[in-house]
Amino acid sequence: MEQPGAGKGGVAPLRDRRSLSRPSLRAPAPHAPMTPCGVIGACGAGARGEHAGGACAARGGPGRGEGSARAMAAPPCAFSPRGCRLFASAGPDGRLRVWDTAGSRLQHEYVPSAHLSAACTCVAWAPAGARQPPSKDGPQRKKRKSEVEGEVDKQLDILAIGTAVGSILLYSTVKGELQSKLDGGHDSRVNCVRWHQESCCLYSCSDDKHIVEWNTQTCKVKCKWKGDNSSVTCLCISPDGKMLLSAGRTIKLWDLETKEVYRHFTGHATSVSSLMFTTVKPTNESKPFDGITGLYFLSGAIHDRLLSVWQIRSDRKEKNAVMSFTVTDEPTFVDLTVSEVKEEPVKLAVVCRDGQLHLFEHILNGYCKKPLTSNCTVQIATPGDGDSTPKPVPILAAAFCTDKQSLLLVYGNALQPVIEKVSLNTSEPHICLVRDIQKVLSLKTDAAVTKVKTPVVNSEAKVLVPGIPGHSTAVKTPALGKEKKKNKRKPGETEESIEERLGALDIDVSKVKTPGGLPQTDSFAVLLVQGLESNDAEILNKVLNTRKENIVKNTVARMPIHAVIPLLHELTKRLQGNPYSASLMVRWLKSVFTVHASYLSTLPDLIPQLGMLYQLMESRVKTLQKLSRLHGRLFILVTQVAASQTVQDVPEVNQTAKLVYEDESSEEEGSDDEMIADKDSDENWDEDEEKEEQSDEQDMTVEKEINGDSDLEPENESEEE
Amino acid sequence: MPANSALTGALRDARQGTNEGRSAPYLLYASGDFVKVHSVNTEETLGLLCGHADLVTGIQLNPHNHMQVYSSSLDGTIKLWDFMDGIPIKYYCWFQTDFFLWSDTFQLVSVKLTKGAGQDLEGKELSVVLDGVGASSKQIAFGREDSYVVSVKDVDLQVYFFKRKLLNRFSLSTAKTKGGDNRFSCVVCHPTEDCIATGHADGKIRLWRNFHHKKGYTYSSLHWHHDTVMDLAYSLEGTRLLSGGVESVLVQWHNESSCQKDFLPRLGSPIECISMSSDGVLCCTLHTDNRISIINSNLRFSRSIQGLIKSRDVKTGLVVDPRTKALVLNGEPGHLQFYSLQSDQQLFSLDIVQRQYIHQAGLKQSDLVKVAFSARGTWLATVEESEEVADPELQLKLWFYTEETQSFALNTRINTPHDNHITDMCFRDMDELGDDSLILVTTGRDCVFKVWVMVGDSDPEGNVSWSCDFVGSYHNYQATNCCFSEDGSLLAVSFEETVTVWDSLTWDLKCTFCHPPGNIRNICFGRQTCSKYLIGATDYGFLCCWNLLTCALEWNAHLNVVVLQPDPLSEHIAAVSWLSKESSLFVFKPSEPWPVYIQRNLCKEKILLAAFVPRDEPETISSEKYLWLRKSQLFFLTDTQELMTLSTKSLEERLTPSSKQLAVEESLPVTPFSVLLGKHRRQQAQEDTDLGKPVVHNKQEQASPAVKELLHTPAHVLPSASFLCTIFINSLLISKENKSAEEVADEVEMESEKAEDDSDEEDVTAMEQEDTSHIELLGEITCKLSKSQEKELRKIRKMDYSWISAF
Repeated sequence: MEQPGAGKGGVAPLRDRRSLSRPSLRAPAPHAPMTPCGVIGACGAGARGEHAGGACAARGGPGRGEGSARAMAAPPCAFSPRGCRLFASAGPDGRLRVWDTAGSRLQHEYVPSAHLSAACTCVAWAPAGARQPPSKDGPQRKKRKSEVEGEVDKQLDILAIGTAVGSILLYSTVKGELQSKLDGGHDSRVNCVRWHQESCCLYSCSDDKHIVEWNTQTCKVKCKWKGDNSSVTCLCISPDGKMLLSAGRTIKLWDLETKEVYRHFTGHATSVSSLMFTTVKPTNESKPFDGITGLYFLSGAIHDRLLSVWQIRSDRKEKNAVMSFTVTDEPTFVDLTVSEVKEEPVKLAVVCRDGQLHLFEHILNGYCKKPLTSNCTVQIATPGDGDSTPKPVPILAAAFCTDKQSLLLVYGNALQPVIEKVSLNTSEPHICLVRDIQKVLSLKTDAAVTKVKTPVVNSEAKVLVPGIPGHSTAVKTPALGKEKKKNKRKPGETEESIEERLGALDIDVSKVKTPGGLPQTDSFAVLLVQGLESNDAEILNKVLNTRKENIVKNTVARMPIHAVIPLLHELTKRLQGNPYSASLMVRWLKSVFTVHASYLSTLPDLIPQLGMLYQLMESRVKTLQKLSRLHGRLFILVTQVAASQTVQDVPEVNQTAKLVYEDESSEEEGSDDEMIADKDSDENWDEDEEKEEQSDEQDMTVEKEINGDSDLEPENESEEE
Repeated sequence: MPANSALTGALRDARQGTNEGRSAPYLLYASGDFVKVHSVNTEETLGLLCGHADLVTGIQLNPHNHMQVYSSSLDGTIKLWDFMDGIPIKYYCWFQTDFFLWSDTFQLVSVKLTKGAGQDLEGKELSVVLDGVGASSKQIAFGREDSYVVSVKDVDLQVYFFKRKLLNRFSLSTAKTKGGDNRFSCVVCHPTEDCIATGHADGKIRLWRNFHHKKGYTYSSLHWHHDTVMDLAYSLEGTRLLSGGVESVLVQWHNESSCQKDFLPRLGSPIECISMSSDGVLCCTLHTDNRISIINSNLRFSRSIQGLIKSRDVKTGLVVDPRTKALVLNGEPGHLQFYSLQSDQQLFSLDIVQRQYIHQAGLKQSDLVKVAFSARGTWLATVEESEEVADPELQLKLWFYTEETQSFALNTRINTPHDNHITDMCFRDMDELGDDSLILVTTGRDCVFKVWVMVGDSDPEGNVSWSCDFVGSYHNYQATNCCFSEDGSLLAVSFEETVTVWDSLTWDLKCTFCHPPGNIRNICFGRQTCSKYLIGATDYGFLCCWNLLTCALEWNAHLNVVVLQPDPLSEHIAAVSWLSKESSLFVFKPSEPWPVYIQRNLCKEKILLAAFVPRDEPETISSEKYLWLRKSQLFFLTDTQELMTLSTKSLEERLTPSSKQLAVEESLPVTPFSVLLGKHRRQQAQEDTDLGKPVVHNKQEQASPAVKELLHTPAHVLPSASFLCTIFINSLLISKENKSAEEVADEVEMESEKAEDDSDEEDVTAMEQEDTSHIELLGEITCKLSKSQEKELRKIRKMDYSWISAF
């Protein structure tokens, strides 16, 4: 199978060829053909398209080049049919991974026994099975969700995996084990596997130029025929299941009954990597439909920037592609929505080797000369905040969801892709999605115990507590009449302070505002007004931080009436801040209200002016009860702790009784002590016992005293004893 | 009458089965009315055993056939299943001497099997083994070789010996407790020794031995758990004992000593049940959050199966996340679980409260009470409150979904948004207007409703945050419900008995509706063509429909509506009523006073919540009756926390596996190792025959009596070793002699040179025998056929004879 010159020389000229126009591509290629590196719907080149050619060139050697061309191909991957619940991808390490598309979570991993020698070349999910016809009577039953799911699981449980050595593995994704191995069909690399929609047949093509039809029940070769003169790279079964498209470099349409060639389509210079039927019914209903005539199909080839659309016609005239779609790089993954109605456009999603996704929307109706460009191009990049530049994130695969609107995107690293469902606005020609894949991905091999995710909580989040503006507004009851709603959505713009204006005027301000010496009360009023007008924090601090009740009262009394409302606003602002400053502000507030109550009551817009202040006070006062309760408890606690410490510090007071009459019942006490002996507070009791013993001794002495001479001093007594 | 069904019941009991000879073990567990069969490798459901009419209470593998399982249910039946096919083999079964069930008064009863052929059998021979046993299957255990049964209840331990028909009772004295609670919680028996391990409420594990005697029993105790030991399990050989409890730590005790123990911590939630697989390779733990963890024998967590997490009270309601189409509701305390209905599995759960949950009785925990999503799912509003009734600590959090990191990020946190409990919360759902006009409304018991809007911050990055825009109240009534009309122009807020309608632009009160007596329980606006109607349900059992254009009552109906749920994609509204212990469903259009669909007796449980979930693609429904289910599906949550749905398909349709055709025959290739091993074995067999070594084991069996005698005779009566030695060696040499004797016999018949050929021939015959054995297996059918043919032949013969005789 070695193609001379397929190594070094095979890849390098391709860059030039991309810029060539379409007709020249139809001409015989100037160089030896490349072997295919991908399979329909299941191949991909991924991100490393840029240095792929370089890798080839570096290796050199005609035979090696072919191998490396394959090695650079991105791992084959496929979405499960019906709803794309699962995504299977075979990694370059030969392992097959099945991902859950809903949670972008690794479902399980399968390591074929020969994964190092026989790498996966293509994967295909078993078809979803014929859809059940809707029932006529439709009896209503509550449905057991899980039953339905069980069914679905059964439907999509088999995955066909083609390997590089020619065998095909059937893997059950539900059981997580190898179901069977199809051997003896191919003796070379399997390029594409396709399931038949209804019968349980499997079709595969290989580098050994043959196409094999398998019976998956018996795991035997049903039929094997030569498909092409060179390797067959791609297969596709017609919607009615009676025809088969195969492609090497020319596309052939086979009748599956007779295994004879029905049509030839030529036009691709390189081997075809993807084949897909785009319609299920012919667009013009004038002629009776025989199952195949009038249908369109799509093909893409490796190293070819154009995807061709072909029509199967009854007359054998038209052999060229009816139209073509142009993309930026070689297509690696193609998905489309099949149009069932004539007017409905075909939606096409093409993932290219350069990691971009192109979306096309086109109504297929006949010949179109000009290659069509994409309606929408999707790229993904990292945010690149700070000093780092945004990096592109390659898209690996894309599939349309069942609603034909939203897309499932697979992007990032092929070993750990991120799967996301997006609904895109396709009217924009270019969309760049910013994704921080470092944060999304957590490189963990161990399965998590629970699926708990923690949402991001950072300091940027705004916190609203009672009293802060925005937490609440004045209660409006319907009785209050209709007022015009104020637009509070924009924050009030602060005017420039006098200082800033002066600074702008370039005047030396330091001279202006040095008051010199201690401020008097009357100057305080002036200062306050100045500060309020200029919004100068320094002056205001100086004035408002005073503690003397007298000064406050006098200042408020002397200030002009127009400064009252600004002062109130300033006070409100300061009240919201530090509780310490709030205690100072309350004094000011109190004197303002006592002195200027009559003025305030005349204001027509008093409620909105003082609403914030009122709420602030309200919320502060509301917690007063709780606070005082807490204060009381804490106080008791603290004093208790302190008291216990002082008790420990104080030397023990001599608690011995001066006079004790001894009863007969002392034995009982002893027994009690024994009972209590194993309690936790042993030590205390022991101490008490000791004390009691001591006291007993002393009792004796006291008794002696009573009996004996009372005049004797205790010291003497002890001496006597 | 349609049968009710649980979407996802609790995982109640877990037993593992292994399919012998293959690498894929299965996990069986009871879930609601079903027994589910799971693959241990892939977390996928392989099969579902359905047929029980009520809750499945226990499952037990058939000890004689590992592909069969018994299940017992509250409906009074026990079924035997072939779990790989999901076919019930027999109902109300059979078995040998020891099949037990618990009846209503919790007696342990033994059922004698009747080997009847029919599927439906009635157990006639019931004999009570033990009285007064615990209600849980964890409190009963069978001892070694099923010779005795142990039951624990409160502080009593009962052991019943089957052979001796002896019942021993042991009880722990309550007086000995030092403030602890030493009641039994679970019991398990050692698989090979006479040892019983019991778990206690104070966290101790006691190991009982010598319990054959009433007086002479002993026990030792192991203590690590600080709270009740929830379950115990012995390993296959009995060398390891696993225990678990509320600490969510799996403890492995080695050799019954308290110093050798291993731990598997951080299993997520309290362990309720532990089960070992029959081959001892895996063990699984069932957790309180409806999850099964599968754990390797070397105490490594391998994977978990998560069901719908049961929370104590679903306060958040059933909310649909527009982005993932998942159902969102309370999960673990403080978490929000996202449950995918399409795949019937949990997607993830979101830790909203972000506080360590401490398992301790009497602690006041914070939990989520309200959740709302904006129309596109970019904003999530959550309300959490502490469990204190009088003075709740409230927090309203607004989360923004950042696509960059694919996760929610906190945008604004509002402490005490209301002074009392928040009763309802909703976003203004306006898809076309985008997020700039988003409005959130919260209603509280502090008699106000608050309107929150987004404001741009002054900083240059253009960040937005939320702030209060308007506070409204109505005659100091408590605000109970709120909802926006479809176009977002009107806001309806219910204040006890009155519904107020506000203009969402100017926040003016437009009109009020009221239908005394009774408070308003639910309100909702009509959709699409019926957007001029406002529907309300009152406490006193009235469903009212007001026309917003005429401000008049359009129609009302006497119906005790518990749940009122509009379909976001159509004009239909579903109302669930609760009357005399049954729930009924009514689906109606507000424009017509008669319902589109009535389903009486929906279920016995009270339905608390309902949600319409949009379908991915509209279902083709032929019957006109169910057209309202075309675009979205209706889900219910009952007070027993079972999630249910209405289906348009019949049970049979759903059960016929449409892909039977794809049942691929298993033809696994021989692995290189097996090829090698097979070759080696064959070679060895060849060599053996070549060397003239017959199968040694047979000969040993022949020689065994002599050796046995030798080994079994007491040492002091044996003769000296030197004397025995020759006999012993001779006994071992017998085989050789035998062989030689055969050879001698052969030699008598044939020439000695042909002996080797002979052995070769023997080899061939041996091979042939193997082959014939295969053929026998395969050829049974052909044998039968030939028999029938023979019969026919005989008949023909008889016929012939009669015919001839007639002549």
